[in-house]
Amino acid sequence: MSAASPSTHQPSSVRSQDRPASDRSVAGAAEVPAVRVEALSKNYRHPWTMRVTPGLTDVSFELRPGEIFGYLGPNGAGKTTTLKILSGLLQPTGGRAWIFGRDIRHVESRRPLGFLPEQPYFYDHLNGPEYLEMVARLSGLGGREARAAAVHWLGRVGLGEHARLDLRKYSKGMLQRLGLAAALVHAPRLLILDEPMSGLDPFGRRDVRDLILEQRERGVTVMLSSHILPDVETLCDRVAVVLKGRLERIALVGELVQGGTPRIELRIAGQPPPDWPPSLAGAVRLAASGVDGVLTLHEPAKLQLLLAWLVERRVEVRSVTPMRTSLEELFMAAAEDAAFHATPLRRSA
Amino acid sequence: MTGTDAVALPRVRVGLAWAVALAFGAVALGIAQEAVRSLPGRPPLAELAYYPSGRALRPASLGHGETAADLAWLRAVQYYGEHRRSDLRFLQLEQVFNVLTTLAPRFEGPYIFGAFALAQEGRDFAAAERLMHKGLDSNPRSALLAFEMGFLYFVRPGGRDLPKAAEYFERAARLPGAPAPAARFAAYARQHAGDLAVAIVLWDEVRRNSPNRLLREMAEREIGELRTALRTGRTEVVVRRLTTPQVILR
Amino acid sequence: MNALLIAHNTFREAVRDRVLAGLVAGGLALIALTRLGSALAMGEDLRLTVDLGLSSVSLLGLLVILLVGTSLVTKEIERRTIFNLLSRPLPRPVYLVGKWAGLSAALVVVASALGATLAILVTALGHPGHAPAIAQATYLAILELSLLTSLAVLFSALSTPVLSALYTLGFFLAGQWVDDLRRFAAALPDPLRATLAFTADMLPNLALFNMRSLAAGGESTSALHLGLATGYAVVYCGCVLALASAAFESRDFK
Repeated sequence: MSAASPSTHQPSSVRSQDRPASDRSVAGAAEVPAVRVEALSKNYRHPWTMRVTPGLTDVSFELRPGEIFGYLGPNGAGKTTTLKILSGLLQPTGGRAWIFGRDIRHVESRRPLGFLPEQPYFYDHLNGPEYLEMVARLSGLGGREARAAAVHWLGRVGLGEHARLDLRKYSKGMLQRLGLAAALVHAPRLLILDEPMSGLDPFGRRDVRDLILEQRERGVTVMLSSHILPDVETLCDRVAVVLKGRLERIALVGELVQGGTPRIELRIAGQPPPDWPPSLAGAVRLAASGVDGVLTLHEPAKLQLLLAWLVERRVEVRSVTPMRTSLEELFMAAAEDAAFHATPLRRSA
Repeated sequence: MTGTDAVALPRVRVGLAWAVALAFGAVALGIAQEAVRSLPGRPPLAELAYYPSGRALRPASLGHGETAADLAWLRAVQYYGEHRRSDLRFLQLEQVFNVLTTLAPRFEGPYIFGAFALAQEGRDFAAAERLMHKGLDSNPRSALLAFEMGFLYFVRPGGRDLPKAAEYFERAARLPGAPAPAARFAAYARQHAGDLAVAIVLWDEVRRNSPNRLLREMAEREIGELRTALRTGRTEVVVRRLTTPQVILR
Repeated sequence: MNALLIAHNTFREAVRDRVLAGLVAGGLALIALTRLGSALAMGEDLRLTVDLGLSSVSLLGLLVILLVGTSLVTKEIERRTIFNLLSRPLPRPVYLVGKWAGLSAALVVVASALGATLAILVTALGHPGHAPAIAQATYLAILELSLLTSLAVLFSALSTPVLSALYTLGFFLAGQWVDDLRRFAAALPDPLRATLAFTADMLPNLALFNMRSLAAGGESTSALHLGLATGYAVVYCGCVLALASAAFESRDFK
C-alpha cells in the first residue's frame, strides 16, 4: 500500500478494511465497540470575525474492546479535538459518538473513561494522594476504596516517595505521571491518552509503555494520540492518521510498517562532494542536518555503490539506517503541508 | 447524522437551566418585594448616623468631602421628610447635621435647615443653638448665618429671646452682604425687648440707609413713637407682648 | 455527593492559600485597632468598634470574593485542572455548585471568626447585650457574601478574572443602592420608571442584609427580616447558579 494522498476520503471503505475478517460482522455484533464515532465534525467560529474554521470534518472510526489504537497526526490536525470531544470537554458541531454503547452526550458515558490530557496540571495546595483520592471518588469509587487506589497508583507511577509533596512543586515529568495515575485510579475500561509520553525521559517512557501494555493485558481499551512514531509503532495494534481535521487512513501497524518504499538513511561527517556519479544521481537525496549531512538512498540496491564512492572520496560515514518508510513519509508530508498552509491552530491543550 | 443531533441534548440541558433560573428569579423578586412591603424602611442616613464624628468620616471620603456632603445633604432632607411625614421622631437629626456640617463647614444651608428642624420638629433648641454656633464659628463673616441665628431666637418655641435675636440681627446688619431686613429686624427686636434707646438708634439707621421709601417712612414713625414713649414713660404703648411661638406639627 | 467533593476541594484550596489567612489576620488587626481609635470617637467607641468590625466582615469577605472567587473557574480553565474533572461523570452544574459551596464555606469560616471575635470583644468591654445583634449581623453578612460568591462564579464561568472582578464589584455597589434606585424611579415618567424599576428588581437587594446600624446600637432585628433575607439569598443564589449552568453547559474547553 502506498502512502495515501490527503485529497480523497471514503469512510466506509476505510472502516471495512481495518478490521480482520473474523470480526467483520456489523449488525447483531456480540461485542459493543469500546468507542464508536460517526461523521464527527467540529467547527470553530471566531467570536469577532464570525469566520468558521473547520477543526474536524466527517471523522468516523470504531475501537474494539481491548485494542490499543494510535491516533497520529501533526500539531493542529485535530487529534486533541477528537479526544476532547470523546471526553466531554468539547461539543461536536455534527455527528455522534458512543463509549461502550453510551452516547457521549450523556454524562454517564464517561464513567468507564480514564482521560489523560496533554500537559496536565493540578491543584497547587493538594498532595498526590489527596488529589488521586478526590478524582477516584468523582469517578465513582467509595471513600476507602478511593484512598487505597490512590496510594496504590501513586506508587505504581513512581511517585510513592513524594506522597507528602504539594503538587505545585512537581516537575513536568512528575505531573505527567500523576496525570496517568489519575486516569487509571478508578480502573477504567477505556483509556484516552493525549501525548502520554510527553515530558518523560526514556526511562519514564519505558514505564508508561509497560503500564499501557499491562492495561491491555487486563482487557482495557487504549486510545492514544502521539506524534512520536516509534512509540506508536511499538504499542499500537492499529493506527489512524489525522490530517487537517480529516481521518485519512486507518491501518494495522504491521501493514504500514511493511508497506511502502524502503529507504536507507546515511549520516556522514560534513557535506558530500558535489560531483555525483551518474549511477547514483537521482537515487540519493541530500538533507543537511547541522554538522552532519544526511543522505537518503531511495534505491537500497545501490547501497554498496554509494558506500564505495563515499569511501573513495574520504567521506566519513557515521551511520547507516534502514528507514521505515510509509508511516514516516505520510507523516512528514502532512506536517510540511500543514505548516505550509498555516491553518489557524487552536492551542489544543 | 446532522448537526442538530449532536447539540440536541446539551440544548435541552441549557433550556432546563434557563427555566430553573427564571423560576428562582421570579421567587427572588417576590421575596424582595415582600421585604420592601413588610420590613421597616432602612433609615436612609443610617450609614452616616452611626459614625461617631464627621472627623472620622472626612478622611474616609478621600478628599471628596464636599461631594460626600452634597450627597449627605440630599439624604438629610430625605430623612427629615420621611420622619416629618411618618412618625415625627427625629432621633438622629443632630447627629446627621453635625456630620454633614463637619464634612462641609462652609455649606451654610445645612446649618440653617438643621437648626430650624432641630428647634421646631426636633424640639431641641439647645442642639439648634449648638449647630448655629458651629456655623458661625466656621463662617464668622457670614451675614446670612448671623441673620438666621437672630431669627432662630426670634421664633424660639415657648418664648422668644428678643435680646439675643436683636444681638444677631445687629451683627448681621453690620456684615457685608447683609440681608435687607437685618437692620429693621434688629430695631424691631430691640424695641419689643424693651430696649428702647437702642431701638431708636437702629431705626435711625434704617431711616438713613434703607433704599426703600416706605421703610424709611416706617422707621421715621417708629422713631417718633419711641421718643414719645421715652418722654412720657408709657413704654407699654411701643413694647407689645408678642405672641409666644408654638410648634404645631400636623 | 460529587458537589460535596468539589466543594471540599475548593474549600481546601482556599483555606490553604495564604491570601485567606492574610485577610483574616487583617480583619482581626482592624478590630484590634478600633480599640486604639476609641480615643478619637468621643464616647462613641463601642459603636465604632462594632461598626468597623462588622464592616470589616463584609468588606474583607468581598475582597476574598474579588481575589479568589472571580478566578475560581477561570483559573481551573487556564490551568487545565478542569479537564481532569469534567472528563469524569460529573455534570457541569454540579461542578459549579460545588465551587460556589466551597468558597461560601470558606467565607463562613472567615466571617464567623471575625464575628465571634467582635462579640467576645464587645462582651469583654462590658456590653454582653450586643452579642446577639452582632451574631445576627454576621449571619446576614454571610448570606450577602454567599450571594456575591454566586455572582462571582457566574462571571468567572463566562469571562476573564479581571472582568469578573469588575462585574462582581459593580453588582456589589449597585446592590447597595437598590433602594435609592427604586425611590428615584418612582419620581420619573412612565417608560423610564418601568425600566429603572425593573433594573432595580434584577439587582441583588443587598440592603436587605445590612443591619449594621442596628447592631452598633445593640438592637436585634426581627425574625421576619432574618427569614426573608435567608429566603432571598437562597433563591437568588439558585437563580444565578442556574444561569451560570446554562452558560457553562455549552462552553468548549480548548
